[in-house]
Order: sequence, then C-alpha cells, then structure tokens
Amino acid sequence: MAVNGRRTSVISSGDAEMKSTRWVSKFTNSVLVQVFKHFPWLAERWARSHQFIEGKGIPWTPLGKPLRECRIAMVTTAGVHLKSQPPFNMEDPDGDATFRAFPADVDKTDLTITHKYYDHSAADSDINVVLPIDRLQELRDEGVIGNITSTLYSFMGHIDGPHLKTLMEETAPEVAELLVRDGAEAVFLTPT
Amino acid sequence: MQRTIEARGIPTIGITLQKEITKQVKPPRALYLRYPFGHPLGEAFQVKQQRTILLETLKGLETIKDPGTILEPGYVWRRHRFD
Repeated sequence: MAVNGRRTSVISSGDAEMKSTRWVSKFTNSVLVQVFKHFPWLAERWARSHQFIEGKGIPWTPLGKPLRECRIAMVTTAGVHLKSQPPFNMEDPDGDATFRAFPADVDKTDLTITHKYYDHSAADSDINVVLPIDRLQELRDEGVIGNITSTLYSFMGHIDGPHLKTLMEETAPEVAELLVRDGAEAVFLTPT
Repeated sequence: MQRTIEARGIPTIGITLQKEITKQVKPPRALYLRYPFGHPLGEAFQVKQQRTILLETLKGLETIKDPGTILEPGYVWRRHRFD
C-alpha cells in the first residue's frame, strides 16, 4: 500500500509565545467549525474576508473522449484513509499537506476519517457522502463511465501556513504524477 | 490541487460547497451546491441524491467548454426531490 510517509515539519519550539499563538489558532479553528456547522451562511462571509491562493489564469485540458470511455479517478480532501494508515495530523493548527492512497475497490469498513474541521458524522455512517465509491462503481457497471482507476487519493482539506507550499510544490504535483501513472483520463474531486 | 492535476494534462471537475472560495481559486470546472460542509454528495444512504449529484458533476466534463465554469443545479438542501 502506497502511503506517503513524508511529514511536513511541525513546530516544536518551546517558546511560550509560539505555544500561545498555536493554542489560540487551534481554539479559533475549532470555534469556526462549530459556528459554520450551525450557521453555514456565515462560512460564505468568512470566505469573502479570507484570502486564499488566488488562481492566475485557468489551466485547461479538454476531455479527450466521451465519458463512457474514460477511466475516472477520484481525489478527496475529506481526510479519508485506511484504518491501518497513519491518521492526518490534527495537532498542527495549520493542518497536514500529506496524502493517503488506497485501492478503489477498498472494503468500506476499512476506512475512517481523520478531520476535525468539518462535521463528518454523515460520512462516518456512509462514506459515499464525501467519497462516492459505490455510486461511481454503479456508473461504471452501467457503462456511463468507462472504468475507475485502481487507486484513490485523499488529503485533509485544512491546509494553511507553511503547509500550503508543501501542498503546491510537493504533494499535489506528486498526486498528479501518480494519477498520470494510474492512467486517469478524468478526475473527480470532492471537498468538504 | 485541482488546478495542479489539470495543468498536468488530466481534465478535472470538483464539487464545491463554497462558491466564494471557488471564484478566487478558479478551478477549471466545478459544480456548486449550497449544502452544509461535509455533505458534497448530499445525505447518508440517499442513493438517488448521491447518484444525481455525481452524474451531474461528471457530465460537466463533457458539457463545460469555458474554463472556470461553475455549474449550479440549485438542489435545495433537504427540499429537492431526487426521484
């Protein structure tokens, strides 16, 4: 099983101010999760006031053939992984830019979710809520899509601070290469 | 993530639950749902709902011709009937 062993650096400074900042950051994150859970419309407001990495230009690759002939891959940022794989790092308020890979025909009972920045109670009971494994297999069996790649990739969507650079320069390109290797002809992504 | 994969030469489409962020990040293709976080495919065990959302999103790979298009099927949370 391919597991990305690379771990982004976690600040281990004993500096009191740093610890305090990290505690505030963790606290703020957990409060935001609860607020957005109960007042989803606030999330849009928060997004407007928050700066994200703004896209310059839009990359574009046209679909080379009909969907019914395409081998489809799935990538999620829902924090899904095999129970046997190391969980995503929840201690770092900036998140975790690593990813997990697991087979597309995985036994769903072998999966779990490590992600405290969204309410995944529905996905815990039915993984298809965030990663529609069964639905995609049904579409393949019906001939709506050609096939499914052998491996699925999962990130933990809360990635901030120094880990954004790791994602942009290391782990995202690494997954893109793996998808090419897997023969993916189109990729479906799910957020949280 | 999505932009990186597309730039590597594979067409992509993603579901988004946050339109404002999507407008900033500018993925090549997206489908927006005004659903609660953690529910991109809808509700647990709602097979028709999940299937419809997945299928609509995948169809966007064929139908979207303009980079940056965000599809908005407008399925109202817990109101839309997926029969």
